[in-house]
Amino acid sequence: MGKKKPKVRNRIRELRAECGLTQQDLADAIGVSRQTVNAIEGEKYSPSLEAAFQIAAALGRRLDEVFEYEDGKRR
Amino acid sequence: MGPSVEEKSVWVQFVGTTVALATYVWIAAAMYMRGVDRLEPYTAVFAISVVWLVIILIVGHILAAVTGKHEDEDERDRMIAWRSESNSSWVLGVGVLATLACMVGSVPEVLTAHVLLLSLYASQLMQYGFQILYYRRGM
Repeated sequence: MGKKKPKVRNRIRELRAECGLTQQDLADAIGVSRQTVNAIEGEKYSPSLEAAFQIAAALGRRLDEVFEYEDGKRR
Repeated sequence: MGPSVEEKSVWVQFVGTTVALATYVWIAAAMYMRGVDRLEPYTAVFAISVVWLVIILIVGHILAAVTGKHEDEDERDRMIAWRSESNSSWVLGVGVLATLACMVGSVPEVLTAHVLLLSLYASQLMQYGFQILYYRRGM
């Protein structure tokens, strides 16, 4: 079967809404621009490991509760 | 969602470089058609196009700054810039090799200089193009 490009999935939008945070609040908390938070949420950009840990901490979750790695193999 | 100041800056540089290059090529081509075969007159035109570019960049960046919230460059901006430069730098490399080939082949110096100049511009425009693509489409 064909292979898909590996992708990091995330639940940031959902978890951010639960916490009552705006994109700008989260951006300020982790030191990136609002556009970068938007790109991460929309899975157009995979954050660095450091930023991923910061996002998880800002949302009060473990890293694996926020991000999931899709290995590229069709399931 | 509107673009970040960093993305606007790339747009300004893309437009400014395109306008400066178009201005230069327009004038230089006319000069070449009239038979100007010394390099000095082209240098003056190039200097004018650089001044034109600087003016566009200053005005463009002022407009970008006043129409958006200033934020420092972040990891995504740096990654986009790095990957775009990586994708486009080969164009300048090819241009340098072509310039060396022109020198070895005794091509007139006006043409040799323009091979180098155009490869520099092409590499830069390609870099800005990739940056805009990555900002818009993601990476």
